[in-house]
Amino acid sequence: MISQEFEFHAPKQLSEALNLLQRYGDDAKVLAGGMSLVPLMTLGLLQPKIVVSFNHIRELDYVNEDKNMLRIGAMTRHSTIKTHQLIARHCPLLAEAASYVGDVQVRHRGTIGGSVAHADPAADYPPVMLVVGAQVKLQSAKGERVVKMTAFLKGLMQTDLQPGELLTEIQIPKLPEGSGSSYQRLHRVEGNFAIVNAAAVIEKGFKSARLGLGGVGETAILVDIGKRLTKGVNDEALRGVSDDAYAASHDAYGDLNGDAEYRKAMARVYAQRVVKAAASKIG
Amino acid sequence: MKAPVKVTVNKKAYSVEVDTRMILADMLRDELRLTGTHIGCGTGSCGACTVMLNGRTVKSCCILAADADGQEITTIEGLSTGAQHLHPIQEAFVENQGLQCGYCTPGMVLSTLQLLTQNPSPSEDEIRHGIAGNLCRCTGYQFIVKSIQEAAKSLQGKPAAPVANRG
Repeated sequence: MISQEFEFHAPKQLSEALNLLQRYGDDAKVLAGGMSLVPLMTLGLLQPKIVVSFNHIRELDYVNEDKNMLRIGAMTRHSTIKTHQLIARHCPLLAEAASYVGDVQVRHRGTIGGSVAHADPAADYPPVMLVVGAQVKLQSAKGERVVKMTAFLKGLMQTDLQPGELLTEIQIPKLPEGSGSSYQRLHRVEGNFAIVNAAAVIEKGFKSARLGLGGVGETAILVDIGKRLTKGVNDEALRGVSDDAYAASHDAYGDLNGDAEYRKAMARVYAQRVVKAAASKIG
Repeated sequence: MKAPVKVTVNKKAYSVEVDTRMILADMLRDELRLTGTHIGCGTGSCGACTVMLNGRTVKSCCILAADADGQEITTIEGLSTGAQHLHPIQEAFVENQGLQCGYCTPGMVLSTLQLLTQNPSPSEDEIRHGIAGNLCRCTGYQFIVKSIQEAAKSLQGKPAAPVANRG
């Protein structure tokens, strides 16, 4: 039983839900999968006055595509992201990232929108979102706007979401044909948050290359490593990537899982691993 | 604040009124008296509270009871009609001593059911990933893995679905 009283709403339509968020503003907390929110409420660490569940809004659970873009509804569960054919084809590293989120039960209930909006610095999706150039659709009763992931992630569990706004869709440009990509993470126990995680996308012919790092700053970090890889992936290029990863991790934090220097050292290791793995998958 | 909840649990319809602060695991245990669902950590780590929601395993300590309105749930009580008629997965846990204190067992059995429904012949690695969300502090997992391997063998050709319901 949660100790603090709150008002509970479970609308079935998105429009109804947005009206509730508009009416209650900052007092309302959005309940998506609840994999973080419900334990935080049980522990008394979060005590929202109003909880609006989105679990009964079916129109936010979808994965579809248009010519250049994958569109993923915010209430799509991790288990769907992990296994969906469109994602496997056009953004396989997102499926790789989903396979590491929590455990079987958490992936059945937790949602991509909830995870992205929660903005944990070591969550699995943010480094992937950055390297693929994802953007999010934010809707409110007043309208909607689309924000690039680089601008959406503001700080430690801080995003660009304003009171009354809801993250409704994640938009992911399809990777160019033949691109190589990889997502990997360091953890001690399966199901735990990563200590450090990394994602890389390399375009065929080394036309462009991007590295994403998590767990080494207040939010995930995007690094353009295109210049390092103009001659392909050789020892010199990997040393350059490693140095870039270390430099990008200058604000790394320390906790029980690893101090800042350890995280920075691991950022070097995982940056090289994902770049090597991504290069090996260029088609 | 109170909220009306209509749920189908183990194929039986229930209609109750719950405090919105109540988590699903508490509703199953205290309101419906289905005490096979255990509560360990209460924060989504241990998996003792695992139930099936619309056919997929979830941790019932991380779901508000009010949010389960209109859903279909299977708890460990839904797997067998009694000690003499255990589900093949439960049989395998008994035969292979896949438990010591038994506290994690309902969750382990339901995670096994989920795994074997999707993957009837899992490798040892796949088994360990399949039960990664269920902690056991007694066995060291060896006999649990063996139990699941034996359950997979005994279920070959048979559906790994809940077999019974009460009421």
